[in-house]
Amino acid sequence: MKKEVKLSDIPRRNPYQVPEGYFDRLPMRVMERTAAREQEQVAWLPNLWRPLRLAMAPLLLLLLVFVGVFYYSMTAGQEKQLMNLARVSDTEIVDYLSAYTTIETTDFAELNTLREQELPADVLNVSATAAEEELEYYNLNNIDY
Amino acid sequence: MEDKELLEKFAQPESRNMAFNQLVRKYQEKIYWHIRKMVIDHDDADDLTQDVFLKVWKNLDNFRQDAQLYTWIYRIATNECLSFLSSKKRKFFLPLNDVTAELMEKVEASPELAGDEVQMKLQKAILRLPEKQRLVFNMKYFDEMKYEEMSEILGTSVGALKASYHIAVKKIEEFIKRD
Repeated sequence: MKKEVKLSDIPRRNPYQVPEGYFDRLPMRVMERTAAREQEQVAWLPNLWRPLRLAMAPLLLLLLVFVGVFYYSMTAGQEKQLMNLARVSDTEIVDYLSAYTTIETTDFAELNTLREQELPADVLNVSATAAEEELEYYNLNNIDY
Repeated sequence: MEDKELLEKFAQPESRNMAFNQLVRKYQEKIYWHIRKMVIDHDDADDLTQDVFLKVWKNLDNFRQDAQLYTWIYRIATNECLSFLSSKKRKFFLPLNDVTAELMEKVEASPELAGDEVQMKLQKAILRLPEKQRLVFNMKYFDEMKYEEMSEILGTSVGALKASYHIAVKKIEEFIKRD
C-alpha cells in the first residue's frame, strides 16, 4: 500500500534558479527594448499594416514611371520646337510677319492710352500723308471691329 | 519607492525612465518567478518577462489607479503566460497533454531538481493540473497571495478560487502518491 502524502509535509521552496546576475541585468535589457520601441514609433512606415505597405510599393513604382515618362516627353518636345525654330532664317521670319500680321483693335486701344510725352518725336511730327502711307502698308482687310 | 510616487514620476517626461527602471527593479523577481513556474524554461520566462514590462511601459499611462499596480502587472503576466502556452499548442498542433509532456521533460532535465526526488515529484504533479488551476495553486502556495488579490488578477470569485486551490492540493497529493 502506498504511503499517504500531505502537501504540508513537503518543504516549500522554489526549485528553480536563474543565471548569476540575471536580475541585475534585466532592468537594463528592458530599458533598451523600451528605447527601441520609442524609436519604432517615430518611424511611421514600419508600423503601417503590412499588406498596405506591400500594396503601396507597386503603386509608388508605377507613379514614378509615369512621372518619368511624362517629364521626358515634355522636355523632348520643347527641345524639338526650339531646334525647328533655330532652323528658320531671319528673312523667312520677316516675310511671315509682313504677310500675316494684322493690327488688332486692342493695338489702337493701347495707342490711345499712351500719353503724348511717351510717344517718340518722329511719331508725333508725322504728316497726314505719311500716316496714310503707313496705314496702307498694313493689311486692313482682316481687321475685326 | 511607493507605487504612487513611481506613477507620478513616470507621468513626468524628465523622470519617466528613472521611474520605470525602479518599477522593473521592484517587480521583476515576482513577475519572473510567476512566469517561470508556468513555462518552466528560463529562456521562455526571460522573453515573457521582458514582454510583460514592455506592455507595462506602453500602457502605464492608461493605468487606472483604483487597482493596485502589482495586481495589474500580475494580470498582464498571467495573460502573457496563458497566451504563450496556447500559441505553443496552436503552433505545433499539439494537444494539451503533449505540451504538459514537454514541460515535464524540462522539469526532469532541470539540474536544480536533480537528486531531490520529493521536489521533482511535486513539480511534475503541479504540471498535471489544468493551466488555470496551476496558476491558482502557484499564486497561493508559492507566492502566498491573498485570495482577494488573486480574485482581482484572475477575475474569479474568492469562493471559486478557494475551491480551486483545495481541489488542486488534493489532486497533487494524489498524483504524488501514485507516482
